[in-house]
Amino acid sequence: MTGFNTIRWRVIGGLGVLLAGLATAALIGVGILGEMRGAVVQELDALRLSTEIGSGLVTTAFDEIRAAEQYLSTPGSGIRLQFQAAADAAFQYHRRLEQLGALTVEDRMAVSRIKQLQAIIQVDYALAHALRDLGRDAEAFAQSRAARAPATELISLVRAVSGRQAERAGQASQRLAALAARRELLLFVLLGFMVTIGTVLALATLRGVHGPLARLVTAAERFGAGDLRPVTTGRMPAEFAILADAMRGMADRLRAIVGEVVGEADRIAGSASDLSTVSAELAASSGQISTAMVDVSKGAEDQRGAVTEMGGGLDQLSKETAEMSAAAEQVAQLGAEIRTVADRHRADIAAAGGVLLNVREVVQTTSAQIIQLAQQGAAIDDFVDLIKRISSQTNLLALNAAIEAARAGEHGRGFAVVAEEVRQLADESARAAEEVARTTGLIREQVEEVTATMAAGQAKVRGIEGVAEGAARGLAEIVAAVEQVEQAAARVTQAAQLNRGTTNRLKERVREVAARSVSHASSAGQVTTAAGQQGAATQEMAAATTGMLQAAEKLRELVKGFRV
Amino acid sequence: MTRCPLLAGFVLALAWTAGCGAGDGPIRIGVAGPFSEPRGVSMRQAAELAAREINARGGIGGRTLELVFADDSGKDAVAVRVAEALVADPSVVAVVGHLTSAATAATIGVYGSGDAPVAVISPSASDPDLTGVSPYFFRVCPTDQSHGPRLAQWARQALRARTAGVIYVNDDYGRGVRRAFAADFSRLGGTVLEEDPTLPATPTVEPYLARMQQRGGLDVLLLATEVGLAERALGEMARLGLAWPVIGGDALVGIERSGALAEGIRVSAAYLPDGGGARNEAFVDAYGRAFRGQRPDHRGAGAYDIVGLLALALRDAGPDRRAVRDYLAGVGTEHPPFEGVTGSIAFDERGDVAARTAVIGVVRSGRLVIEAAP
Repeated sequence: MTGFNTIRWRVIGGLGVLLAGLATAALIGVGILGEMRGAVVQELDALRLSTEIGSGLVTTAFDEIRAAEQYLSTPGSGIRLQFQAAADAAFQYHRRLEQLGALTVEDRMAVSRIKQLQAIIQVDYALAHALRDLGRDAEAFAQSRAARAPATELISLVRAVSGRQAERAGQASQRLAALAARRELLLFVLLGFMVTIGTVLALATLRGVHGPLARLVTAAERFGAGDLRPVTTGRMPAEFAILADAMRGMADRLRAIVGEVVGEADRIAGSASDLSTVSAELAASSGQISTAMVDVSKGAEDQRGAVTEMGGGLDQLSKETAEMSAAAEQVAQLGAEIRTVADRHRADIAAAGGVLLNVREVVQTTSAQIIQLAQQGAAIDDFVDLIKRISSQTNLLALNAAIEAARAGEHGRGFAVVAEEVRQLADESARAAEEVARTTGLIREQVEEVTATMAAGQAKVRGIEGVAEGAARGLAEIVAAVEQVEQAAARVTQAAQLNRGTTNRLKERVREVAARSVSHASSAGQVTTAAGQQGAATQEMAAATTGMLQAAEKLRELVKGFRV
Repeated sequence: MTRCPLLAGFVLALAWTAGCGAGDGPIRIGVAGPFSEPRGVSMRQAAELAAREINARGGIGGRTLELVFADDSGKDAVAVRVAEALVADPSVVAVVGHLTSAATAATIGVYGSGDAPVAVISPSASDPDLTGVSPYFFRVCPTDQSHGPRLAQWARQALRARTAGVIYVNDDYGRGVRRAFAADFSRLGGTVLEEDPTLPATPTVEPYLARMQQRGGLDVLLLATEVGLAERALGEMARLGLAWPVIGGDALVGIERSGALAEGIRVSAAYLPDGGGARNEAFVDAYGRAFRGQRPDHRGAGAYDIVGLLALALRDAGPDRRAVRDYLAGVGTEHPPFEGVTGSIAFDERGDVAARTAVIGVVRSGRLVIEAAP
């Protein structure tokens, strides 16, 4: 049943019914035409026959009478035969007239009478001819006159019959006209019926197409407006049902997708928000690192100033301490190495700062290195102790020199002055070392503070660890360099011990210390820069996070347009 | 039922006619002929006899056979009215009639047309022109094609006649016999001097006879007329002193009762009561017993056979006009021929019986007897 509820079957069915109806109408029309033709042919045949017989009867009657009269005036066998032939022909017509099917009783009576009259006329004339042949002309003419009355009656009867036949032909044509009218009416009724059926079918098909189409259009418009709620399209032809199913499937899929998008947008917005918070915290930590490093840098600067100051004191000893000078050159080479390494590490840190994810590692490394730095602070203390020991030794040397100078008397008086100067320098050096130790203690305190801060931020700001590690690596190198410095200082000490008073070496060493201090300051500056870069990266990240947040919000706005 | 008064005007119902009823009542067949004239008497009585015998044997399937007699007075106009009445009566399933060729010719169209045509069987309408004019017309007599040639042959061979004259009644019968005789007589070498028409109303045929006499007389005179006209012509011949041998067709059967004038006249007939045969003798005996020693003529014998044949058809095909007609059309083909008193009856496709050699009877002492056996 539903298999036929399609536009295709409706159209096929409708056209089929219409064609069948038209074929029926055509068949009926053809049948009617055939019937009419048959009726017309029948009527015309009857009419033609009766007319032919009627005129034949009249003609032969006239021929007979003419031949008969002619024989009376001029007898002859030819005329006699003509008379006989006309009479025979007349009876043949009678016979045919009798056999006409459509004769009424009146007609048959008339035909019977005509035949009788024909016989009478023939007998009258035959007798007249016999009398004429016998020469009894008067009797013959009397006899022939007797034929006049029946002849007149015959002619009028034949005409009457013909007239009635013509009348019947008229009736027949009326009958035919009435038959045609009835058939015409039947055809019109049939055609009207077909037109009605056609109209009903056309309307039904239109409704079957238009209604479902309008419902589908409404549904499509709803989908277009973003309303993806399920749609009821009602009963419709199979083709539209398929389309409606497809639209329903599409709406279901869209609904599912939009639902997922909304969820995703919410999740992104949440993540962005979290990230934003983390960024803010990271930025804050970076600031703290920067601050700490600035302090480190300042401490190193102070140290450098102090060392320089000490270097100035030792300057005068330089000339006598050539080995110290060579050692100092080695120290200078080391310093160059340290700078190279530091440069490389600065690049590393810059690269690390570019990558947000490396930040964490850097921070972690930095944190660790800072811790190491703090530990290395102890090494600085050791170094300071060494300086102190060198100073006290130098002081002892100066004291010895003064004693020796005193022994020399007058000759040693100049050297005693120098020894006093050296002793004073050693005292100043010891004071500078004290200063360095104090500064280093400050640095250690700062570093410990930074370490604490970083440790606190480390949980949230893992990203900074990368940068911190880069920085820490740099610092490790610094530490290595510091070790080299320590070794160099050790060699200076050895040289000083071996050469006893060759202060040039000491002076170079002091310069090395100064250079190291510069290097320290520089390293601290690198850390500060890295921290600053980190802060910038963190700000970029924050900006990106804000963009992401905005995008997520926009997405949510967009998805909000769908009603699911 | 409304036809009853009309019908009554033309129908002579016999004693056992019980009105217009149909259905389980009697089966009715019409019998139409000139019963008011001597030539119709034998036909009516023989039909009556046949019906009586059939009913005595139990009727047709238990139903009585009833005859509806209708007198056409030998006139075409009356015959047409009679035929109309019979066709209009639905209880009439078949008609026996008419006796004369003219009345038959006038009524064939009536019986064979309309909504319910009815079969009509004539015992004696011998006009050759009636052959095949209607599928509802049958006849048990040979046509004049049998009589005319038989008379011509007999005249030429038995009478050795060279010249012949014909006086014929100017109707279908007379013209039919005249035409058939003239054609065969000429073909056999004779000469037909005159063929003169007459009518029952014609007062005299004396001019014809006088002209024949003037032209040197005849070897034989054919009177193709009814008995009445023949009597008149014979009287005028006697007055003119003419003694030509006179021959006639079967219409002259009955002239034997016209006295001395008719002595020696030869008549061609398809049937004569002394023609022999067990059936015929039984019939002639029964007829004589029933009707004061009378002898049946060929019309009576034909009517007797027709009623018997119709009884058979009604028994086999049922009392239905169309069925009866179809049965009759198959007699001799689908159905066996009917063995009657006039011989074996089998219809050809045009409703005629097979040509049958007519017998020549001669009037001897007031009786028509066979002169030359076929």
